[in-house]
Amino acid sequence: MAPGLFGYTVRRLLWAIPVLFVISVAVFYMLRLAPGDPVDAILQKNYQEEQAAALRKKYGYDQPIHIQYIKYMKNLAQGDLGISTRHRDFTASEVILPKIWVSTRIGFMALVITFAIGIPVGVYAAMARGTFLDPLTISSWLALDAVPAFVLIPVLQWLFGLKLGIVGLGYEGVWSSHMVLPVLILSLPGVAGVARLMRASVVGVLHEDYVRTARAKGLRERTVIITHITRNAMMPMVTVIGLSLPGITAGALFTEQLFGIPGIGQESLAAALAPDFDVILALVLFGSFLFVMANVLIDVLYSLIDPRIRVGAGRGG
Amino acid sequence: MAVAATADDLYAAGPIAAPRRFRMLRNLLRKKLAVLAIAYLLVFYSAGIFAPLVAPHDPNAQELTVDARRQGPSAEHLFGTDALGRDLFSRVIFAARTTILFTLVVIVTGGLVLGLGLGLLAGYRGGWVDTAIMRVGEVLGGVPTLILMLAITASFRGRINDLSFWLEDHTFLGSDAKTLVKFTIIVGATTPFAWIGSSRIVRGQALSIRESSFVTAAEAMGASTWRIVSRHILPGVMPLFIVGLSASMAGIAGSEVALSYLGLGIDPPGASFGNLISDAGFVRTFEQYPHLLLASSLPVILFFYAWNLLGDALVDLFEPRTHTQR
Repeated sequence: MAPGLFGYTVRRLLWAIPVLFVISVAVFYMLRLAPGDPVDAILQKNYQEEQAAALRKKYGYDQPIHIQYIKYMKNLAQGDLGISTRHRDFTASEVILPKIWVSTRIGFMALVITFAIGIPVGVYAAMARGTFLDPLTISSWLALDAVPAFVLIPVLQWLFGLKLGIVGLGYEGVWSSHMVLPVLILSLPGVAGVARLMRASVVGVLHEDYVRTARAKGLRERTVIITHITRNAMMPMVTVIGLSLPGITAGALFTEQLFGIPGIGQESLAAALAPDFDVILALVLFGSFLFVMANVLIDVLYSLIDPRIRVGAGRGG
Repeated sequence: MAVAATADDLYAAGPIAAPRRFRMLRNLLRKKLAVLAIAYLLVFYSAGIFAPLVAPHDPNAQELTVDARRQGPSAEHLFGTDALGRDLFSRVIFAARTTILFTLVVIVTGGLVLGLGLGLLAGYRGGWVDTAIMRVGEVLGGVPTLILMLAITASFRGRINDLSFWLEDHTFLGSDAKTLVKFTIIVGATTPFAWIGSSRIVRGQALSIRESSFVTAAEAMGASTWRIVSRHILPGVMPLFIVGLSASMAGIAGSEVALSYLGLGIDPPGASFGNLISDAGFVRTFEQYPHLLLASSLPVILFFYAWNLLGDALVDLFEPRTHTQR
């Protein structure tokens, strides 16, 4: 391990604690202070006041919020995320974990496809800079980005499902041909964003000395583009890929809803509408935790690549 | 999944000298796609702003006979009619009005007040103010936005009905009160997340301008903080701020469409692209009445696309590293 890397990683991880603390306090207070009460949600509004009071006491909702928060955090430390009011007799973690797993696998496939298409498209557009092919490439992918999923889905379901009969539409597990459409719908709109960043990154290295040197050495253009330009332009993409990773566990609300996929996006909507307090809280905390961790990971990766960041000596460039 | 990070591209750009703005405008008009986008946006905005004058029918007038419902496009009804026999073209025009009003309000609250204000404050004051603002932005950027927006709207909507009834009875608003209250809720749910990108851009610009000699000179002459910020820093910040806003317009408008689609934003009879699409957007409905979905979604898709193209063209003009720096 590089000198100082361990200490740097520990310092960054320690910084994550106050950030997560602030997020958890803010969300906890917001949910507890918002109109509506978990007990209302459990009892569905037809109840005796004594019954409600008994439940409030049982779950501790009668206590001041900071006491409730401390209790919640104590339980969280033991892996208890609370109870679901929407699915009676299930804990919040029993509700969300299987669904997160479904969404994560689908989201991961989509992410791989997005970058597998977006990176070459970005390189191509950058190399075609100055011709009409550059704006044409980027803007045609941007068109896909402009179509909301809930418009694209019924049209594609009709075309490929009903009219042509190529793909089935019901949910039959993650590894089935029925997932082809959902994965494509999740991946293709993101291509424009990746391509645009990759294009900017490639344009940034095009005029570097090592590119000129590589050409002067008489290397084939193919080699120059792949090993000298693309490789160096990939650096900023580390951040983009890293920051996209936590997002795949959040699921895709509209796609899951319209394809009947039992993922976490669908559950988020249902939980927010119910409202299912502990499930919402668990989802928000889980998402924030992953986001903060992804940020730490990126910083550490960068400091591996560029040790100056670690010691804070100048910003380079 | 959208990997939109145009704001971060801009963040890397250096300060822009004022006279360059005019050259930018000329360069922008030289881009054909950007001109097309501007032309479409002009049509969209004038249709929406002058909706009552442009719309051929009352968007809420129902006609429930079998023949009048879900008609295909005709000279009388350009986009056909919906499930309740209402003229879809007129409803689309009023939906455009909703989109315009919503984006305008969010841009004023989230963009101008919070984004520009906090960005300038963070960039010019620096120190702990800067740290605090940027940390809050980081935290808000880190939470899963959609579920929080859903949770805020869902938990407020149920309880806030009483307020809209009260407004309906006690103010001049009448039946518009419900729409106004729902509108306020979605603005309130969107704004907290709408300022982060633009404040980052503004802060970055303000930081670098603060170090320039004309600011030092103004400080030495005893100019007030207000004067320095408004006369010396603001003009340099504005171009990139506007570019950032135009790149985020589609996202802002999209959040209203998505919330209304889910039944959490503007409800019928109020017209929003979200509720028009959700009325038409199931595969069986689309199979039988394709015009309902196409007519209610294409105008807003083109609106998103036009803003994205325009934002892209602007970012491109500001592209910081076209030529080698070192």
